[in-house]
Amino acid sequence: MQKVISYERGLEKFRPLDDVVVYDDFDRGFNGWLDLTPNFVNEGFSQQPSRIDLGSWGPVMISNAPMRLAASSGSMEGNYSLRLATRGAAAPYEEQPAPGSMSVAIKRLSGVDPQARYIQIEAWYSYTVSQDRIGVGENDVRAIGFFFDIQDEQHRWQPTIRYVSSANGKPVHRWQLGRVQEGVSRKDWCFGLDNGWEAPGIDAIWSGRRYADGSGDGFQWVDGGEQRLVFNESPDKLNWMYFRLLVDVQNREYVELQSMDQTFDLRGIAPTLAPPYEGITNLINPVFWVETDSDRVASMYLDSVVYSTARSLNREEVR
Amino acid sequence: MLTSITTVVERRTVFSADGATIPFEAGWAAEAVFFVQAEAGHPELRLTVEISPDGLAWTPHSETRVLTTSATLAAVSASHFGTWIRLRIDGASHSQPVTLLVHLTLKG
Repeated sequence: MQKVISYERGLEKFRPLDDVVVYDDFDRGFNGWLDLTPNFVNEGFSQQPSRIDLGSWGPVMISNAPMRLAASSGSMEGNYSLRLATRGAAAPYEEQPAPGSMSVAIKRLSGVDPQARYIQIEAWYSYTVSQDRIGVGENDVRAIGFFFDIQDEQHRWQPTIRYVSSANGKPVHRWQLGRVQEGVSRKDWCFGLDNGWEAPGIDAIWSGRRYADGSGDGFQWVDGGEQRLVFNESPDKLNWMYFRLLVDVQNREYVELQSMDQTFDLRGIAPTLAPPYEGITNLINPVFWVETDSDRVASMYLDSVVYSTARSLNREEVR
Repeated sequence: MLTSITTVVERRTVFSADGATIPFEAGWAAEAVFFVQAEAGHPELRLTVEISPDGLAWTPHSETRVLTTSATLAAVSASHFGTWIRLRIDGASHSQPVTLLVHLTLKG
């Protein structure tokens, strides 16, 4: 018998590693991506100890991206994307995230190949704000980002990439990666809570102290990571952009970030390792999020996402 | 087989005035049902589906259902709603707030 393998044409716009685990085009529905919610396991179905209202984030939706005065943007291919939309006003940058000021989409997976050394997420995406007032609105988006939530036999760790668009309305336009600054305690990380759920390094997207220049306890700036994404000249215009993050799970370090036509070498930088949590060993959850920097709805649109793994790198494939 | 989803548009949100659920895009769906659950001791609530061309300007699109003070769950449905949909919730006040759990079920 002669076997013939053919790939879906939509994969052509990605650069997956050897084994494609997930190829999600949101024209086919939600594909198991949903709102990130806390563990409602305590008295009254309340969440785990945290100063943050983890059940408040804006819900994800399948979107054709309709606008105020423009026609629907649709998506990069087909009609629909996965839209993450905030639902409440931001607090000042230096404070803990306000309820509803983020929208967080997660897909829950687990490891399959113990010898896989590399994991990679790729996405075609866009982002904007609601056109509820005049102006461009780029400085009303605080951040967009992605992280892998990973737990192996020894550690829980979350390689995280964050694009800071704006801090308190001032443009930043720089990439960060998740790595906790020296000397940060659990109390610092959890906004004064001694028994907070988040260990330093876990859930950096809403944990740790933040500073007016866009920095924070949970992040360090990507070397040379200044980049102007294509926000366009009006909030009703979406341009689809490419994102790729490559991680070495055996050495527990970042490898590479690609954003549009720029690639940042992250080799040798390790995310912060936390002790394992109960019941989640071998978990691998990809997570995207958007955070508003004002009282305006900020949205991130995912056209499609590919998650792939490999035991070794064929550099021609990756680059 | 149709596509369907249940999402939570308000998760224990406290309403202390007339208000509405978060604007939701559902252009792919043909039918929608809002389920409203109120914690005990709530005022009478009037529930009306609203639709919008852009997520900014809203107009009523359903009959108004009443969640009486003794009821804990009500449902309001809609079809031909275009893309943007939300539920208008009237009756809460500062002196009589209500904590609501609102599911939205979509199918299309």
